[in-house]
Amino acid sequence: MTAVADRVVVLDGVTVPDRDVVGNKGRSIAWMLSLGLPVPPALCLPIEECRRFHAAAGELEDEAWQSVLAGVTGLEEKLGREFGGGDHPLLVSVRSGAAVSMPGMMDTVLNLGITDEVQAALARLSGDQVFARSTHCRFVHQFGQTVLGADIEEPGEEATPEQVREEVRRDTGEEVPTDPHEQLKAVIKTVFGSWSSRRAKAYRRHWGISEDGGTAVIVQAMVFGNLGEESGTGVLFSRNPLNGDPEPYGEWLPKGQGEDVVSGTHNPLPLEALASQMPAAQERLLEAAKLLEREHGDVQDIEFTVERGELFLLQTRSAKRSPLAAVRAAVDLADEGAIDRAEAVRRVSAEQLATVLAPRLTEAVTAGAEVLARGTAACPGVAGGVAVSDSDAACEAEGDTVLTRPTTSPEDVSGMIAARAVVTERGGSTSHAAVVTRALGRPSVVGVGEGATAELSGRELTVDGSSGVVYAGILETEEVDPSDVPGLEELIEWAVELSPVAVVDAQLADAVDLDAAGASLEESAPDVEALVKALDGASAARGSAIATAEGARAVLLAGVPTVERLPGQQAAALLLRLAQEKANLEEEEG
Amino acid sequence: MPDQDLLALHALAVKKAGNAEAVAAILGGNEEEISAALDAAVAAGHAAGANGMFMVSPGGREWLDERYPEAYADFRADPAATEAYERFERINRELLGLFTDWQMVPAAGGERVPNDHSDSDYDAGIVDRLGAQHERAEKVLDRFAELEQRLGIYKTRLDDAYDRVLAGDHDYVSGARIDSYHTVWFELHEDLLRMLGREREEAP
Repeated sequence: MTAVADRVVVLDGVTVPDRDVVGNKGRSIAWMLSLGLPVPPALCLPIEECRRFHAAAGELEDEAWQSVLAGVTGLEEKLGREFGGGDHPLLVSVRSGAAVSMPGMMDTVLNLGITDEVQAALARLSGDQVFARSTHCRFVHQFGQTVLGADIEEPGEEATPEQVREEVRRDTGEEVPTDPHEQLKAVIKTVFGSWSSRRAKAYRRHWGISEDGGTAVIVQAMVFGNLGEESGTGVLFSRNPLNGDPEPYGEWLPKGQGEDVVSGTHNPLPLEALASQMPAAQERLLEAAKLLEREHGDVQDIEFTVERGELFLLQTRSAKRSPLAAVRAAVDLADEGAIDRAEAVRRVSAEQLATVLAPRLTEAVTAGAEVLARGTAACPGVAGGVAVSDSDAACEAEGDTVLTRPTTSPEDVSGMIAARAVVTERGGSTSHAAVVTRALGRPSVVGVGEGATAELSGRELTVDGSSGVVYAGILETEEVDPSDVPGLEELIEWAVELSPVAVVDAQLADAVDLDAAGASLEESAPDVEALVKALDGASAARGSAIATAEGARAVLLAGVPTVERLPGQQAAALLLRLAQEKANLEEEEG
Repeated sequence: MPDQDLLALHALAVKKAGNAEAVAAILGGNEEEISAALDAAVAAGHAAGANGMFMVSPGGREWLDERYPEAYADFRADPAATEAYERFERINRELLGLFTDWQMVPAAGGERVPNDHSDSDYDAGIVDRLGAQHERAEKVLDRFAELEQRLGIYKTRLDDAYDRVLAGDHDYVSGARIDSYHTVWFELHEDLLRMLGREREEAP
């Protein structure tokens, strides 16, 4: 940490400042630099400045502003670029960074420092007029929205910066500044001001967070993956997030920039392409991934950019992974000594395990089945029943039903609750039907086509909400064999070792039945204390509530030695819950 | 202008089924008056009722469809209503995407998996986005309330749902059985579509 004129902290990784001083993001940048990782240089207005800003009735003191300018000069020198001009212009991002993250704070504004001249320079450097123009448009749009509060549409491909400025003007009566320093000052003030936004205040009130805190402001140099040869952008997972294989997995888009990889508008290449194009950058990237995975004790998802042969890490976080990968990675990380077994058991959620173990349609069954409709897979799972075309019929039917509707409206919710699965003609993965079925855990296929459900009425169907196919008849599903899932047997073994409670299949005469005792699983989470009371002194227990974290916790707290598995419950899922809650309880006790 | 009988039946249609209290919650009206209007609707064959619960009958639906064009003629002809509705549609698209992100987490390979809410940063990001959309929604509802005062009640209902989300009650993002943000928003959408005589357009 180096002080520039006292009021700004340069995040250079020489020291790692406290999060109470520079906030979470500031600390994370300094921490990565201290590990020797390549991160675009940044400076930070510490949290203290936020307090000064509010004490000064929403003004940035001149000394603080002069420090920011000196800090920006430092960034310019470090990178050999010029903020707001020159042949190789410097653009910066500005982010908020409190010690505790909270909603309502201004998050990020990108591309500060852009002007008409800078746009022209970017176009020259990238050889891409459209990119330069749209970068300018996006800045004007984002500034208009976040700083001036404009409610305007995303600029289209053809939009010009002047058009977007005009839209902001029409909506707010205010101007987006063309001077880079004015841009920077206004955004910094907006970040500090957002500490006192209505939403941030409401959040602090709800959670009892002190009003005396504040947020830091991070000003970071932007790097571009589309400036010339030996440039590009990509994503790297420290291991395969689809199946958990302990091999790095990633995508590389030569001459790509920013959102290009994640947005799906471009087709990225596999990581091997980076290895053959720039082996040194690839090697450095893999080393960084290994280091970050070890430091975090978890699979990392790393966004990176290579600008003219130089690698920059933009962001790292715990990787999203498929349920299969969650099992495999947790077991492997424990075997490698990165985490202990109790932690490995906690890394796999009961929902992930349920998905891994969910009965599925085998190819042998689906190959011979008649496909009645195809659409968008909206909520995973397999379920069947008789097709009914309105909600009342679903509610009144005795047996299992599948609700088939052209589209759904609020009046259909009761029918969606009553049915086992849902099929709609119109809409995609964000339609009402998709949203509601996922909330209810009902397998659903949406958008099967206009008029396609009419002929289904009264027929027996099976809905595969994982593949988006509707089959004729009630198809048989197959249970999953744990030995077919890499890592699963070990994980279950560890859960058995860690759980002080046994799970048995036999029906026990003296088991306390929580469902019979009125503690059945309804919509809300069960009350631990009430369950403990119901289980007091019991030698065994059964009930739907035991499949929840609260239920498992109550069994442990009541000291019940044995749990009887109910039909439909999975022994592995019960054991996992019990082992997880055991670990949680131990952690809480310290 | 719509009369109380039309309004009560309209609100019942937005909800499909409900008691006088639920209908009053949509209209922001007096529960006794609404109860009387619902009883009158049953007597007229526009609704069916049992044990204080009501449902619009097929005849009631036809009656509503016949009455809407005249009752909401001014509203439909007002460019301010059309413009407000266009803004509503924009927020609607954002919100539906947001609800999907809330329920389904992007995984590697472009796949999405159900959100197990184990990643609090991810969830917090969505709650933050919901807050931003909520602020836009408040502005649109102010516009609507100027044109049709009772629509202001949705602002209160959305605010209640958002406030619960903010307090950590995450079911209130998109829970289907409660007055979650999604539930209230969806009823508002249905309400507006009926007033404007438009068809629902689902996201692609």
